[in-house]
Amino acid sequence: MRDGIEVARRGRAAVALVTEQFWLQGDSVAASAGMPDIPRLRLPHPVAGSGHDAMDRVADGIAARIVAVLRGEAVPDNEPSSAP
Amino acid sequence: MFTATDEAEALEVLHQSGCTDGLPVVIPTHDRVARLVLASGLDADLDLGAMGPGGGAATIEKIATNAAMAGCLPDHMTVVVAAIRAMLQPAFDLGEMQSTTHCTAPLMIVNGPVVSHCDIAGSFGALGPGHRANASIGRAVRLCMMNIGDARPGVSDMALLGHPGKFSFCLAEDEQSSPWEPLAVALGYSSDDSVVTILGAEAPHSVVFTNDADDNDSPQRLLRALAAVIANTGSNNANLSGGAVAVALNPEHAQVLADAGMSRSDVQAELQRMAVNTRGQIRSFNTGFIAAGNDDDIIPAVRRPADIVLFVAGGAGLYSAVFPSWAAGAHRNTVVHEVVATGAACELPWA
Repeated sequence: MRDGIEVARRGRAAVALVTEQFWLQGDSVAASAGMPDIPRLRLPHPVAGSGHDAMDRVADGIAARIVAVLRGEAVPDNEPSSAP
Repeated sequence: MFTATDEAEALEVLHQSGCTDGLPVVIPTHDRVARLVLASGLDADLDLGAMGPGGGAATIEKIATNAAMAGCLPDHMTVVVAAIRAMLQPAFDLGEMQSTTHCTAPLMIVNGPVVSHCDIAGSFGALGPGHRANASIGRAVRLCMMNIGDARPGVSDMALLGHPGKFSFCLAEDEQSSPWEPLAVALGYSSDDSVVTILGAEAPHSVVFTNDADDNDSPQRLLRALAAVIANTGSNNANLSGGAVAVALNPEHAQVLADAGMSRSDVQAELQRMAVNTRGQIRSFNTGFIAAGNDDDIIPAVRRPADIVLFVAGGAGLYSAVFPSWAAGAHRNTVVHEVVATGAACELPWA
């Protein structure tokens, strides 16, 4: 979270990847750092230690969304969907 | 500011607002808080710094509010303030420590004249129930961590299980029963100084040792027993190879080592040397932390003798205790200490 916030503070597009178990902590850290709206995407938990194949699947499943959020073409998971 | 029609309702408001540790608290009325601010000898608005992870401003008034809830007496206030000052030192990494999934909690060890003045226990059951100053001071610090630092279980305090010391974790060194100089003196302070020393630590791990005055190997057996617990392969110290640990020697065990001609620093040096594993041993339990290398390499659990906080506490008998630490954060769980400040504006009698 703090890495993403640091990048965003430098004026660069940023998205923080937060696992399910730490989602609420992500909200807390974002608020305390003064950037409650920093874009975040939700990952399954755990990622660390789940093995290369599982991590590859997580990466494959999220990579396109990361790029889309960075480009402003998709809504991150911490924002309400703009879809009707 | 909360309002309520009576103290029973106020207690419920505080519980519902998440301001308590789950136990009933003393209602922090304006008069109670003002009394503790007065006892601190400091301005209510004085800001000691931002408490992580939430970054709340640790003003004297907020600290006094939490100390009131914890049941602190006015004389306890300067100790609580010193503890907060210590934890706000950047080297303590308070925000990170509060956020970790490890079960660390700030272990507070108090030395100096304030110990007898406030009746802070350092002997039998010093970390257990029944000691008002220990319970209240430690609890005040925890409530500050929650209410000023915004550490909330499962939200911003991510300790997977925690430990009971997260309610209160404060004791004195039993200077009267120690064969050595007080811990604070070893850290460079005067014996006239009152000092709070703090390490983020796990709950105490008991170390049983039976002395035998006819056995010349007794002191070495005691050192081996302590070193084995310091190097226990379930600890972060062993796996991350670093950080600090605290060792509470009961007076009998301390005397065994002193009678063998060992100073405090001798014991620290020996424990640091002996508290080791091989790389292969560590890797047989966890592969996630230990760097690649030869399985026969010696991996110390503590890197420097000074990282072993050795103090005398507890009743005399069979048991001493080791407190492993988180051993992480930017400063690897550094030990911090702070003088309990007294002065002309403060009520403490030796000022």
